[in-house]
Amino acid sequence: MENIQDYIESGILEQYALGVLTAAEQAAVDALAAAHPAIRTELADVQAALGLYAEAHAQTPPAALRERVLAHVLRQIQPVAPAPASALRADVDAVAQARNLAAAPATTPGAVVRPLLAAPAAAAAGRSPWALAAAVALLLSLGGNALLYARWQAAGQDLVALQNDQARFAATSQVVDKQLGTLKEQNSILRSDEFRAVALAGTKDAPTARARVLFNAATHRVYLDVRSLPALPAGKQYQLWALAGGKPVDAGLLAATTAAGDDLQQMKDVASAQAFAMTVEPTGGSAAPTMPIQAMGAVAI
Amino acid sequence: MARLRARDESAMTLFYDRYSAALYGVILRIVKAEDEAEDVLQEALVKIWHAFGNYDPGKGRLFTWVLNICRNLSIDKIRSRQHRVGSRTQGLDDSLTAQRQAAPVTFRPEHIGLQEITQKLIPEQRQIIDLLYFEGFTQSEVAEELNIPLGTVKTRARTAIKVLSKLVR
Repeated sequence: MENIQDYIESGILEQYALGVLTAAEQAAVDALAAAHPAIRTELADVQAALGLYAEAHAQTPPAALRERVLAHVLRQIQPVAPAPASALRADVDAVAQARNLAAAPATTPGAVVRPLLAAPAAAAAGRSPWALAAAVALLLSLGGNALLYARWQAAGQDLVALQNDQARFAATSQVVDKQLGTLKEQNSILRSDEFRAVALAGTKDAPTARARVLFNAATHRVYLDVRSLPALPAGKQYQLWALAGGKPVDAGLLAATTAAGDDLQQMKDVASAQAFAMTVEPTGGSAAPTMPIQAMGAVAI
Repeated sequence: MARLRARDESAMTLFYDRYSAALYGVILRIVKAEDEAEDVLQEALVKIWHAFGNYDPGKGRLFTWVLNICRNLSIDKIRSRQHRVGSRTQGLDDSLTAQRQAAPVTFRPEHIGLQEITQKLIPEQRQIIDLLYFEGFTQSEVAEELNIPLGTVKTRARTAIKVLSKLVR
């Protein structure tokens, strides 16, 4: 049905997951999600996405906080726990007292209670033993069923919890895998003999700039590894140039992560170069370098 | 989880160990002060305990449910704080902006995925998700705050969530 796609595209599921809908709107979404699997799936995706985003901000609380919070929470959630103990105590006391009273029936009102208790017992003794046995069997069976039902439900919930856990681990390991792949690739470049390292040193315009170009003359590959570069104002970007025969050749723009020194970046292939230089250009780069040069280094021959 | 339903108190300890980092991270990101984050976490755990009977597994994951409880409590907290501290007429926007700028200083991401995720989101998308998710803004409040059309807010929020859900898979 086309309407469902329109509904999904409308963005209301995102609002639902972000919790910005009114109770009535929420109920409407709930109802539609219950009726249409497509909506339900999409909603689960949206919620999982936000969950991932939330988890990305995970921060282990200080260890001391664990004791404090748990102690406080446990105190709050079990105000009932001491009550049964004292209630039980009271019951025991009451029974003990009743016994004492029963021992001296003539003098106390406790004696009045005894015949009342005895009467139903006498009636029960009169019932058929079969009826009793059936009643006991029924009770046992009910109890057994209730127990099995509770266990079955618990197993189902455990399964859901485990599936959730597994999905979370899978997501994390995927991220790790990807990072590992990138690191392996970078490592193979750094260790390769074919790559020649060209140190770029900062000029007087950027004395703190330091970077390294890894240049493979055979495959023409160029990688850039930034140690430190001065931060740029908005609207500016670093650009790498290869100098071949005295002419600057564009070797590509530095991504923000590269300029920050987080990443090894593959630049544009360069056929040949005697030196590499870096300039500051408007975002998007320029066709010819804008002076002054920020950092520069010659390829050792 | 079954034990939580059965109100077994050691379940609370297990629950804490499994979820506290994720929940604390979100709470801290919203309220920004560690002592308040502790209060909210405490409050949230008690609330989760008492409201557990209302949790319907058919409607979504447990994590989503508890996350929303924590988010709502945290957002209530900062709302009441703003209400207490400032005049509502002029102070609101300023204080929100100030808090947002202060965030990166106090906030130290420990989770491995954060950088990966933020690299996938362009800054405009991230800003919108943060406002909606961590500041409790409505979409029209975001539009007003950033001075962009409501339609743009909706599209950006939707694209950002699309990007995130690709990462989930």
